[in-house]
Amino acid sequence: MFKVSPLRKRQFTGGIIGLVLGVSIFYVLTLDATEDYVSIGPMNTGHEELNCYACHADAKGNLMQQLQSNISYAVGAREESADFGTQDVTLNNCYECHDRPNDRHPTHRFEEPRFSDAVKNIDATTCITCHSEHHGERVSVEYINYCMNCHQELVVENDPLDISHEDLIAKEEWFTCIQCHDFHGNHRYEVPEKMKDTIPMSTIQAYLDGGEDPFGYDKKYYALSQEEWLKTLED
Amino acid sequence: MKTIIKLFSASAFVLALNSCGGVPEEKTADAGEEKAFAVAEVLEMVAKENDVTRTLYTKAIVGGGKKQGMKFDEDWRKDDVEAGPLPALFLRGIATSIRKSPVPLGLYLGSDFPVNAANKFEGKQAELFTQIKKDQKPQFFYDEGQKLHTAMFADLASAGACVSCHNKHPQTSKSDWVLGDVMGATTWQYPKDSLTYKETVAVLNSYSQGTVDIYMEYLDEIKAFEESEKPEIGDKWPAEGNYLPTPEVFLDSVRKLSSYETMKHLVAAK
Repeated sequence: MFKVSPLRKRQFTGGIIGLVLGVSIFYVLTLDATEDYVSIGPMNTGHEELNCYACHADAKGNLMQQLQSNISYAVGAREESADFGTQDVTLNNCYECHDRPNDRHPTHRFEEPRFSDAVKNIDATTCITCHSEHHGERVSVEYINYCMNCHQELVVENDPLDISHEDLIAKEEWFTCIQCHDFHGNHRYEVPEKMKDTIPMSTIQAYLDGGEDPFGYDKKYYALSQEEWLKTLED
Repeated sequence: MKTIIKLFSASAFVLALNSCGGVPEEKTADAGEEKAFAVAEVLEMVAKENDVTRTLYTKAIVGGGKKQGMKFDEDWRKDDVEAGPLPALFLRGIATSIRKSPVPLGLYLGSDFPVNAANKFEGKQAELFTQIKKDQKPQFFYDEGQKLHTAMFADLASAGACVSCHNKHPQTSKSDWVLGDVMGATTWQYPKDSLTYKETVAVLNSYSQGTVDIYMEYLDEIKAFEESEKPEIGDKWPAEGNYLPTPEVFLDSVRKLSSYETMKHLVAAK
């Protein structure tokens, strides 16, 4: 018989305890009930009820296959790497629930070459530039003067506003745009004609931070709930 | 002994790792298929279909429809506006539908005198558009930023409705357009430099499907009209009265007008 030293025994016992603990933690953290602990931050407004899988679909293959594929890719034995654990979140994940035919600024429009300079300032080709997830808010973009990137030459014929749009632009009052116009144009909202009647900036800021919607809740299209989205996958 | 155990363990790990095989690599369905067309040829084909579709919509639906009292408006999607899409928005609707399909084709419309200042060409597009206005020939370039093959085609004032609406529009930046003018240009983008026969047909189909999708959205809006008289949807056109063709009838007419040119290319490649 081999003689096993007490040190080896301790190493073995420690190894087994570590393995059991590791597997248990892995198992517990993959349960639906513990999603809040795994999430890197609170979900944004409207997404509070979503499960992780709504955006983070399981990657193809099992963990061993994903590990092997990525090692093969690292040593040049494979052309493409493989997603590990979960698939990357893409625009399609957003559009599966938020696709709206009336979107005034759909992301794909900004892929046109003439927007290349504007996109350097604000990448409107992707949702997460303004709606970065896991921050517990509605809009995460730092400054809301984004209209300045494309609408510098705007002239409104028979301008109904008591201060003309041209004047506002000349004074670089780009923060005022959102006091009347929501970026995606989905709200059924009567635009005021006097600056004093526009939505106050403090209310706008509270809305961007995740508060009440000052444009109202009457919209032409509503985002799908998780249940509605799941139904579309069955169809 | 220790070395043998280590080697054995390492071999067992590698064997275990490889035993399940990797995640299958995603090869495109047409992998190995012969490339049949250069991207420029395909974009010319689909741009030709677009010319026919746009002219038919502008002349027969917008021009003819207006004579019957139908309305067309920028805000056609708003609930309180009972109107159809203007030709530029019809094209934008097609472009949106294409982007929702698996075909990686981009389609845009711009001008140097757009109704909406935000649609004015800039940079490389503005530079090439100057040439297009001179000779009406397509221009091609590679968009380094996005790694996309890009083509621009002249967009002509092919119907009276183009000229009259743009000249009279309150926001117009030019009011002396005449028939035949280069009013703008369409810009098309595709990621590959050459396409298989199947990919080419997919591009043409995605364009046709885009036409059907936006036209159906227009017909859906009509269903919700409360104040305006709803046109009868069938096989008749506005030229005959308060009628609109079904999406199938509209697409059939596009195909009749464009099929010769398109088929000529497709058959030649076969």
